[in-house]
Amino acid sequence: MKTTIKKMLTIMLAAFMVLSLAACGTKTSDNGSGDPQNMDEAVEMYKKLMDQENEILSQNKELWEKVFMAANKRDMTLQEDGKNYGDFLLDTIEFAKDDFTDKEYKILKEGAEKIKELEDQLAALEEKFPGVGEKANGNTSGTQSVPADSVNSQKFPAFDGKTLDGKKVDGEKLFSGNKVTVVNFWFTTCKPCVGELGYLEKLNSKLAKQGGEVIGINSYTLDGDKTTIKEAKELLAKKGVTYKNVWFKSDSEAGKFTEGIYSFPTTYVVDQNGNIVGDPIVGGITSAEQKEALSKLIDKAMKNSN
Amino acid sequence: MFQVALLILGVSMVGIGVMRGEADLVLGKAIRLCLECVGIG
Amino acid sequence: MDNKNIVKNTDNNLNKKSKLLARFRGGIQAAATLVSNINLPNFVKGGIYQGSGKAVCVPGLNCYSCPAASGACPIGSFQAVVGSSKFSFSYYITGFLILMGVLLGRFICGFLCPFGWLQDLLHKIPGPKFSTEKLRALTYVKYVVLVLTVVLLPVLVVNDVGMGDPFFCKYICPQGVLEGAIPLSAVNSGIRAALGTLFTRKMIILAAVIILGVLFYRPFCKWICPLGAFYGLMNRVSLLGIKVNEHRCVSCGKCAKACKMDVDVTRSPNSAECIRCGKCVSACPTDAVSFSYGFAKDTKDIKEIKES
Repeated sequence: MKTTIKKMLTIMLAAFMVLSLAACGTKTSDNGSGDPQNMDEAVEMYKKLMDQENEILSQNKELWEKVFMAANKRDMTLQEDGKNYGDFLLDTIEFAKDDFTDKEYKILKEGAEKIKELEDQLAALEEKFPGVGEKANGNTSGTQSVPADSVNSQKFPAFDGKTLDGKKVDGEKLFSGNKVTVVNFWFTTCKPCVGELGYLEKLNSKLAKQGGEVIGINSYTLDGDKTTIKEAKELLAKKGVTYKNVWFKSDSEAGKFTEGIYSFPTTYVVDQNGNIVGDPIVGGITSAEQKEALSKLIDKAMKNSN
Repeated sequence: MFQVALLILGVSMVGIGVMRGEADLVLGKAIRLCLECVGIG
Repeated sequence: MDNKNIVKNTDNNLNKKSKLLARFRGGIQAAATLVSNINLPNFVKGGIYQGSGKAVCVPGLNCYSCPAASGACPIGSFQAVVGSSKFSFSYYITGFLILMGVLLGRFICGFLCPFGWLQDLLHKIPGPKFSTEKLRALTYVKYVVLVLTVVLLPVLVVNDVGMGDPFFCKYICPQGVLEGAIPLSAVNSGIRAALGTLFTRKMIILAAVIILGVLFYRPFCKWICPLGAFYGLMNRVSLLGIKVNEHRCVSCGKCAKACKMDVDVTRSPNSAECIRCGKCVSACPTDAVSFSYGFAKDTKDIKEIKES
């Protein structure tokens, strides 16, 4: 009797271990059944379709990474207006056909075709229920550093600050002058934050051609501490960063927003109207999924800005 | 005896560290999660 | 005659207090875990405590990424300081560790460390139990972990601007996963989205430590913990010790048998492996084993320190 109880408990513990490992895997989703009748169902369906798209991309991460790199080399605009994302991927795969083996090519093409279908469905949803995309993106299931309003998109708090070089910067003017602004929160002694500075500099150059820019906010420099500003500037110079880094007072609206951010690096995408697009990307933008998520947000912001 | 010496050493090292600015660095790192540093990512 | 009685009484007193302390260990461990993680509402709210209490270290292994953490982890803080481009050694943390080591030594492991408490609880889960006596060689691994991942690698392996990774925290520490990564990703979707291969690898480490903790007694403390390694080295010079009264000891060996850290109590009561749990104190049939606290008073005590 005693040994069977022992056995059961150890099996249960092992099962718990396995389950908790599985829990951190990719989300699986089932196909939406039937047509959505109202906005809520539409949002649900939208999210399911997005999940499926992400699943495809994460299943062959390295291959898709190559595709994105090829897109970068081509220096294509991230997405032309009105073009289906799946078509964009198909074009890039064709262009970079020589980089892949036949088997890889097949996998990628199939994935891109599926994504094209999903995108068509997503577009149809958007037509039937305008604004569903924003709602699906704006909804977060957990607490964010700032409570997200699930109905309306959130405005990035206004700020009145200075660059690390001392030039005045007004938040509203900055955002309205760009089709898209990528706001990267970091701090000086955070290694992954410093590690992605090179990538952000390149992104800034690319966005500049499309009417956007990257700005950095170093959490240490809030309130204009001279020593931390000096250290930040030295670091930025060493990493070859030319985009603006801004500071403002910690008791301002934006300051409180920044103090509420506790995980770094965190990257927000803001559109021309000063609205935060989607969810912030938390962690260094190193994996293909995160780069993917970022470019999607950027596309969305640019769409909103037209 | 050397237990007292170690105590004095410990206290003075803490003092030196604080003066060097190490305590500020610790605070800075402890209240801002560098995600990779704690194994997320 | 009088002198002998005085000594006998103080010895009795000491032994009584020692037995009492050993009996309340579980409660003290729970209290210490709570004090190290006082900001409980954060588990639900998400976010971490950002007050200036975190400039000070807690004595045990408690990750400052834990939403409830009230202070900083000494191991994490050490790596943060030496991994920065400004410093390659930390006086602040080393001084703190020396202080803690002299004042308490591995009493911290036995009474004040949350992760130690977890392992004590895990070992109570019914299942097959194995002895670690034949695996004594593994106890040296924790020193390698300390020197390599905490002290050297963050200083030596740096990026182009002189910053190093906190190797122990990033690649090894299961406590960070348990009380930081898991609670945070449970309530924060942004962090959930950031979980990647590093997290998976560390979950495997956590799972292994948990399973081993059911099968063996405190495997992490014995073989891996760099904090325990350092405090262990300080056991011999700590003010808090284990004392064996030679006159009362009848060499029955019950203390060594009761010891789950594989310490031969009568031969080396202040061994680096002893976590001062007091099981030997409770097990001794002649009340010969007690905790002791204080400076080495005379040559006899110093001799004992030198021999243990």
